[in-house]
Amino acid sequence: MRREPAGDVVRAKQMDETVSEFFRRTILKIPLTEMMTILKTWNFLSENQLQTVNFRQRKESLVQDLVLLCEENRASLNDAALLDIIYTQFHRHQKVWDVFQMSKGPGEDTDLFDMEQFKSSFKKILKRALKNVTVSFRDAEENAVWIRIAWGTQYRKPNQYKPAYVVYYSQTPYAFTSSSQLKSNLPLLGQALTIASKHHQIVKMDLRSRYLDSLKAIVFKQYNQIFETHNSTTPLQERSLGLDINMDSRIIHENKTEKERVQRVTQEIFGDYPQPRLEFAQYKLETKFKSDLNGGILAEREEPLRCLVKFSSPHLLEALKSLAPAGIADAPLSPLLTCIPNKGMNYFKIRDK
Amino acid sequence: MELANTLSQDGESRGGVLAHLERLETQVSRSRKKMEEPQSAQAEESALGTRIHELRRLRDKLRAEVKQHQASVKASTTNVEPDQTLEITEQESLKRKWENVKAILQAYRFTGISGKLTSRGVCVCISTAFEGNLLDSYFVDLVMRKPLQIHHHSIPVFIPLEEISAKYLQTNIQHFLFTLCEYLNAYSGRKYQADRLQSDFEAFLAGPLQRNSLCNLLSFTYKAEPEGQSFPFCARLLYKDLTTTLPTDVTVTYQGKRKYCTFCSHD
Repeated sequence: MRREPAGDVVRAKQMDETVSEFFRRTILKIPLTEMMTILKTWNFLSENQLQTVNFRQRKESLVQDLVLLCEENRASLNDAALLDIIYTQFHRHQKVWDVFQMSKGPGEDTDLFDMEQFKSSFKKILKRALKNVTVSFRDAEENAVWIRIAWGTQYRKPNQYKPAYVVYYSQTPYAFTSSSQLKSNLPLLGQALTIASKHHQIVKMDLRSRYLDSLKAIVFKQYNQIFETHNSTTPLQERSLGLDINMDSRIIHENKTEKERVQRVTQEIFGDYPQPRLEFAQYKLETKFKSDLNGGILAEREEPLRCLVKFSSPHLLEALKSLAPAGIADAPLSPLLTCIPNKGMNYFKIRDK
Repeated sequence: MELANTLSQDGESRGGVLAHLERLETQVSRSRKKMEEPQSAQAEESALGTRIHELRRLRDKLRAEVKQHQASVKASTTNVEPDQTLEITEQESLKRKWENVKAILQAYRFTGISGKLTSRGVCVCISTAFEGNLLDSYFVDLVMRKPLQIHHHSIPVFIPLEEISAKYLQTNIQHFLFTLCEYLNAYSGRKYQADRLQSDFEAFLAGPLQRNSLCNLLSFTYKAEPEGQSFPFCARLLYKDLTTTLPTDVTVTYQGKRKYCTFCSHD
């Protein structure tokens, strides 16, 4: 029989109901297959405690047991927020991420970025502006931090169920934010980021995707990492054209030169590397109507036409890469399509020059 | 033969003289034939004999040729081996030379800066090292065009590549590469030291090592002795010069009070 000091028991029972409910809903979100992994990553409940729980029971009961354990451990709101961050890190594709770019003034001193200073500065700025806000941090990889912000107002407590996330890599000008529904707080978030990271300006990039790692690859220019060296054992040969070498010799490809040209042009533009993953590209057109035919109603129109063209795909850039080889489009593709990773944009506004 | 027929039609009266003449004639032709037969036989015989002689001669000639050919083949095989080995050694030596050159090209990376020509320009490889330890390699793929362009690279985003290229890429490619080399080697060296501190001195560290992307600010708490009652010190290392692997400022505090003064090591 365990002897618990009376004070602890009393304190445990005093965990805020809202916090308890927050725990319950956060743990309920976690799929059963990932439960153990996420709890171990969280590292709040000990091995022994986890062993006392039956993970094969119904989810509702399992969640109840876990919440009780959290209460016993006197878990705080911050611990719950941390668990929420870990869940989001495992399920980052469930959020849509925007990219912000910061800039410094010219001739700045060497950036001596101190993570602890950044965190405390960031939190201070938000708390000064909004009394009711929950800010939590979790370090990731070598040089990144995940920030979770639950927004409240002057009179209302923070809403823990609609938090915003910011992922920031130290000493870089880029920050990735999950599109928060509370758009009014965006300027404040931008300000806090800029000042805490010792930048002067922040600008929202026209780049958005669910795939955080792809966004990172695009802005950090890490998507093309194939380099020719003398040390590589497999030389960079000319790609076989996808025309099967074992194909019947009675089959003659009439347009072999054209196929080769298309393959070559595609390879020059898209490279041999796996493309970063985006789901769409959006073009807002405000251009006057252009036509080869003389006359016609639209040709006389002075005002520009406004329309929106949106390309969607589970993997947009790979789809664009395969258009010309599949014979659906001419090669080379329009630079408006091929400039997406280079320019770091998938939202375009096109106007007449 | 009509004579014979007339004789037989006439009967025996005429058979006497004509028949006799006929008989004589046939006798003569027979005997002539007989005389000729041995002659032709002889002729045949002699013809065959000469043929036999010829064939024998031919056979001997061919036999001799075969023997000669065999002998020459034997002789040539014993001669061919030294020729072939000569060819093989030539081939081998060429191959060895080629592999040697290839190895030299591969070994160039140990000089710190090496490159390989590409279809559009050159791919430069900057290999970093610190205190005799070979560390990461970084690549810059250049397009030979006016103006010189960087096609793609593997330089980390927190290294000021844009600044350095803006200053030197178009005017002095050598300076560009050397400056980049400086920054990357210093970053690699600092990163290596921070990693080693974290792993090799784990017992001395009282908490996690705080660092940033450039590894130019390190903050940690350590004890002078891994076990025992020694007091923890807080150390803070600043590297203001991104081209060096040694800190420019070091602060050691004990319980918030500075135990040692900071010292600055500017050149």
